[in-house]
Amino acid sequence: MKNLKNYLTLSVCTLALAACSKNEDNPVANNLELQFNNTFKEQTIVLGGANASSATKNTSAQGQVHHFSELKYVLSNIRLIKADGGEIPYNINDLDKGATVIDQAKASTLRYVLSNVPAGAYKQLKFGLGVKTELNTLDQLRFPAFYNTAGANDTKMMWEWGTGYRFTKIEGFYDTDSKPLSIHTGSTVAGSEGNQTQGVDAYREITLDLATQAQVGATAPRITIKADFDKLLSGKTNTITLSTGTSQSDNATPNIHTAVQMLKFVDNLGGNGVNDLSGIFSVSQVEN
Amino acid sequence: MMTAIILFCSCEKQEEEGTFQFDNPELAFELPAGFPALNNAFYANKPTQYAVELGERLFNEPKFSGNNTISCGSCHNPNHAFADNKPRAIGINDRVGLRNTPPIQNMAFMQFYNWDGNILELEKQPLVPIITHEEMNSSILEVIAKLEQVPAYRDLFWKAFGDPEITPERIYRSIAQYEYTLVSANSKYDRIKRQEGEQFTETEAEGYRLFQQKCASCHATELFTDQSFRNVGFPANSDTQEAGRARVTGLPADYMQFRVPSLRNIVYTAPYGSFGQFATLRDVLDYFDKGVSDAANLDPLLKANGNRIPLNENEKEAILSFLETLSDEEFVGQ
Ligand code: HEC
Ligand code: HEC
Repeated sequence: MKNLKNYLTLSVCTLALAACSKNEDNPVANNLELQFNNTFKEQTIVLGGANASSATKNTSAQGQVHHFSELKYVLSNIRLIKADGGEIPYNINDLDKGATVIDQAKASTLRYVLSNVPAGAYKQLKFGLGVKTELNTLDQLRFPAFYNTAGANDTKMMWEWGTGYRFTKIEGFYDTDSKPLSIHTGSTVAGSEGNQTQGVDAYREITLDLATQAQVGATAPRITIKADFDKLLSGKTNTITLSTGTSQSDNATPNIHTAVQMLKFVDNLGGNGVNDLSGIFSVSQVEN
Repeated sequence: MMTAIILFCSCEKQEEEGTFQFDNPELAFELPAGFPALNNAFYANKPTQYAVELGERLFNEPKFSGNNTISCGSCHNPNHAFADNKPRAIGINDRVGLRNTPPIQNMAFMQFYNWDGNILELEKQPLVPIITHEEMNSSILEVIAKLEQVPAYRDLFWKAFGDPEITPERIYRSIAQYEYTLVSANSKYDRIKRQEGEQFTETEAEGYRLFQQKCASCHATELFTDQSFRNVGFPANSDTQEAGRARVTGLPADYMQFRVPSLRNIVYTAPYGSFGQFATLRDVLDYFDKGVSDAANLDPLLKANGNRIPLNENEKEAILSFLETLSDEEFVGQ
């Protein structure tokens, strides 16, 4: 009986394997790789402490020198648009399978591999910077893997008081005397299901056209996405001067830990949703 | 052999179901006269006998904290009207939180929770302290795993919900049900209002008159809060995580505005202010009298009065003695 079972399992496997190899020339699905390059303009960012000479320095439109010691953001709600316009959602309602924390300090997180993407040509990529409101509840039971990743001690991508995830977390230094800067974004939306009654939505949808279409098929394409953090202070929507203790319209405090002044940074990072749908993101290369 | 096991299993299950009668009666909930409307969430989670019993036990369960030392009750102490006597909350490993612990009383009648009103339904509140680094520093699955090791909880969850499964939702709902039952409406003030024979002393009566004149526009209704958010120019918390109501809304007009606190049982909840700026009630009154900090969004009532609420010593004494009539000894177990 036992032997028979083994034998059966074996033959099922053989059949399955046979099916695989038969389709290899023309697979129905393959991986698609997203590679993130976090930069100041064209220069890939090197993180560093207050006085680290190795850290990549940037100067804002307003002349403020700054560099980062920590740089993280959350991606979710990834969708691929086929050449014919059809939209392929990638585990958009499953944070464990479809969301990730990009952490400049961990090289492995800069590459996010979408698996089992249906074969075809793709002309556009959409994703969310942050987590859409319906899923932004720190539901550990539903999404334990993402919860643990985001909550890990070396990651800290949670706004506990808002029972939601942090969408971006940037720590660094600015001005010649290296004053600390600390920019956190996240949503504070609350209200009954589908009925926001208070708070600020920091989730942003990014849309990127692929000048070269990504061909998923026999090979797995790789899309390199540049995230240009020069735009944090010198963005398409807001030109920001960091300053303590003022509330002039173009200025912002260097410590964003609440919804106050947060949207200036959110709109620069993820676009304002009106005439800027890409924020800091652009596609620098598609390799087929 | 296999068949035997299956039969055995199903037999046992039937037996359990057979002997267990799920009967968890709703508790009577009295609306004190003149209290404002209930929060809508209450109607979807009305207190029941066994869920309240469970909620009370969970509220006092130190397993909610990462190192099994801190329960909700560690900060929300019944003898202080479920507040504590610390300027800022002290949680796990003596970590200091951002804000002062508010009392938990008459929660069913509140439309906004916390100093900044960021929570709108009581059921959504318990997760915050559980996961906050300075409070309990745990996670809901860690809590559930610990509760599953305690046989008594099996029964309690069964009685409350009809089966022994421990879920996050059931934890939140039972704690909220327990909190809904924490109604304080039996102070001297209430008994006088209900005309049960007691009288204000002359000083208390004078204090009540002054209170209605100088305080009741904000500390309104029988809850002694109109549940609005206002900036009354208290010394500000310089922590970058603090922005008052604007932490939630992001609006400059809401900067450092806080929910008007209820003044019921106020004698038991010192120190006062969002991060315990004032040691005593007298300090609060002295501050109002001397003049509060100016701000662009300082409450118009204060602005119209030269940024102060002028009070002479007699008036302060009178108001203080009136505030004492808001003490519900039974509620704080004294
Ligand atoms: C370390 C101390 C501490 C612990 C432990 C704690 N709390 Fe609190 N609680 C606070 C503080 C501080 C606030 C005010 C928070 C704010 O305004 O942001 C608060 C607010 C609340 C409120 C809102 C009260 C109001 O007036 O709106 C409720 C309800 C509450 N806590 C229930 C709980 C429950 C349930 C637990 C256990 C799961 C718990 N707390 C654990 C300190 C604590
Ligand atoms: C303009 C509205 C307003 C008026 C008038 C007002 N208050 Fe308040 N009161 C508030 C607000 C808002 C707070 C919370 C402010 C904060 O913490 O920054 C508060 C806080 C307090 C506190 C501290 C409560 C606690 O739990 O920490 C006491 C006590 C108090 N008020 C008493 C009074 C008395 C007595 C009067 C009249 C002499 C008065 N208030 C007048 C709005 C008002």
